[in-house]
Amino acid sequence: MARRFVSLTVSMMLVLFLFMTGCSSSADPQGSGDQVELKLGFYSSGASDAKMQELIDGFMKKHPNIKVTTETAPYGQFFQKLDTRIAAGNAPDLWLSDGVLVAKYAERGAIKDLTEWIDKDLNKEDYYGLDFNKDAEGRYWAVPQGIQIGVLFYNKDLFDQAGVSYPTEDWTYDDLKKAAAKLTLDSKGKNADDPKFDGKSVSQFGLTFFSITEGWFPVMKAYGGGVLDPTMKKSIIDSPENRQAVEWMVDGMKRGIITDPSDLKSFKSPMEVFPSKSAAMWFGIYARVLAANESGLNHDVTLLPKGPSGKRFAPVIANSWVINNKADDAKAKAAWEWIKYWVTEDEVQSEWAVLGEAVPVKKSVANSDAFLNSGNKKINKQAFLDSFEFAGTLDTNAVWNEWVQVFGDNVDRAFLGEVPVNKALGEADRGVQKTLDQFYQK
Amino acid sequence: MKKHVLLKKIPGYVVIIISSLIMITPFVTAVFNSLKTYTQYTAVPPKWIPDPVMWSNYAEVWKLTDFSQYTVNSLIVSVLSVIGSILSSSMIAYAFARLRFPFKNTLFMMVLGTMMIPPVVTIIPQFIIFKNLGMLDTLMPLWVIEWLGQPFGIFLMRQAFLSIPKSYEEAAKLDGCNPFQIYWKIFLPMCKPALATLAVFTFMGKWNEILAPVIYLTSQENFTLPIGILSLGGQWFGNEQFLVAAALMSLIPILLIFLVAEKYFVQGANNSGIK
Repeated sequence: MARRFVSLTVSMMLVLFLFMTGCSSSADPQGSGDQVELKLGFYSSGASDAKMQELIDGFMKKHPNIKVTTETAPYGQFFQKLDTRIAAGNAPDLWLSDGVLVAKYAERGAIKDLTEWIDKDLNKEDYYGLDFNKDAEGRYWAVPQGIQIGVLFYNKDLFDQAGVSYPTEDWTYDDLKKAAAKLTLDSKGKNADDPKFDGKSVSQFGLTFFSITEGWFPVMKAYGGGVLDPTMKKSIIDSPENRQAVEWMVDGMKRGIITDPSDLKSFKSPMEVFPSKSAAMWFGIYARVLAANESGLNHDVTLLPKGPSGKRFAPVIANSWVINNKADDAKAKAAWEWIKYWVTEDEVQSEWAVLGEAVPVKKSVANSDAFLNSGNKKINKQAFLDSFEFAGTLDTNAVWNEWVQVFGDNVDRAFLGEVPVNKALGEADRGVQKTLDQFYQK
Repeated sequence: MKKHVLLKKIPGYVVIIISSLIMITPFVTAVFNSLKTYTQYTAVPPKWIPDPVMWSNYAEVWKLTDFSQYTVNSLIVSVLSVIGSILSSSMIAYAFARLRFPFKNTLFMMVLGTMMIPPVVTIIPQFIIFKNLGMLDTLMPLWVIEWLGQPFGIFLMRQAFLSIPKSYEEAAKLDGCNPFQIYWKIFLPMCKPALATLAVFTFMGKWNEILAPVIYLTSQENFTLPIGILSLGGQWFGNEQFLVAAALMSLIPILLIFLVAEKYFVQGANNSGIK
């Protein structure tokens, strides 16, 4: 009886196994002959997937010997999946990297050095942001797919109601704070300059910002500070310039003019403070135009203000195409053809610009109506392009996510008034340096 | 007398009604949010009742994503997982509960021990196995694993089998049943509540699973509902009202299953000591 039971179980397992192997797909695609099969990874989005597929179809038409298969996932999960696939030696041949993660892949040897190809095939003067993916040794690791650059968003209706003049390109951070005080209202409608103003019941903030790109980083840089030195391996947090910048932010939060981390918790997301008309100004990147337009705001944008010494800084995230270091020669060349198709073809650049998600990489397209006058609502898009003059990355390196977390935790404590600015910056400095050393001094 | 009993029950009913209202508020809020424009969705202070009511948000979800394909994929994964986990877990559990073999208890402890390992630890080795089996970008890695027994199911079914008196088994043996027949014809029918619990847990787990589909699936036509819905968001612009509408639509099968299996589910949970 026991033998029959065992044989029955084994038979069931065999049936299951045959079923499994029978249903499974063929092994990973390989290029054969002149035909190359290119695996392209990108994070999907309801708003742009159809356009991406259209552009891929156009590429295959132009390059009949290259067959592109796509690998996608929602943005939040794409990079988690990518890490697994890199570890298993099964990453796509080419993928769209968040701009802040390019250094992580480069310094871990996961992506190809593109310097030679860029030097040979691209005229650097024709494109925005190629240098945003250049490391301290001058090597290029990626080519931007689209660029996010920070400007000052302002709600014209709220300015008109408060009788405050719109921001100008000459504003300093002090000018911004003075205007923000007049635009900050408590539940009784008193502004922050009024002695009876109640900073604990703010119903409209003068300025909202959060986290790094659209928060503390541009202020610190405009004040002459920053987080890492040019090697990206040493913390420069504990500096007088950074203290001055953080004092400026803490003072604004104490007075209720700027949203602090606890104010942001009463919103569905920090990104919704400005679109919900709860703040008059915002340090926003280009993609925020979509939400502002969708909310029907009467808004415009201008350059971010100057620091005390006249220095200006616009934060940049250049989401970029990178090529897998393990891709064989044929696939890597096919991947480079895709990158060239993406950045050099006017039609591709214009088609992508229509979505309104990013500033085009090709200067001729970015400076044409395809970008400057796209969309139903006319705003000063030239401000995004002018900001390239003083733009910089977010001190990205192999442990960017980790040090941002350490710095953010410490500076938030200063923002909430839990520790003095000096102490918060001192602890952030030590914490960030420790994080850097753990990776770079191994 | 009756009036007195009724009066005594009133505080209880009041508590139940208030707690029910508290429990249902997030759900009702989600329904309202799914019917708003983006402006209303972000409004501060919040506008609770949508005006106008945007029924079109639901239609928009179907336009923006391949919702029907995602639903079919999720159903395939969930149904096959339920069948697999019921068959394999109960069969393994029967062996642990009723058969005698060397190292039985040690093996059972090892099975339970695997429950302590976080899934992220095993994801890369599992990925490599499925890659070598040629199963990447198919739905198979998501359900095949359930056909190989799952520790929670084995534990649940073993507890259920242990509660069956030995005399049933002895009577069946006298009638000429072999171990498989005892398992199939006596034990399984007597443990329907536990099986229903396992089915509901497995279905819910697979229906809502994110990590495995994200890792194994790469083509959009193979996406299951949770990652299909998350894809609506993109990197910068949330379309949150569409996300809420999509999430609510994805709840429908779970609600239906829970309503159908509620009796078994509660009974099974009580019997197995799950709180």
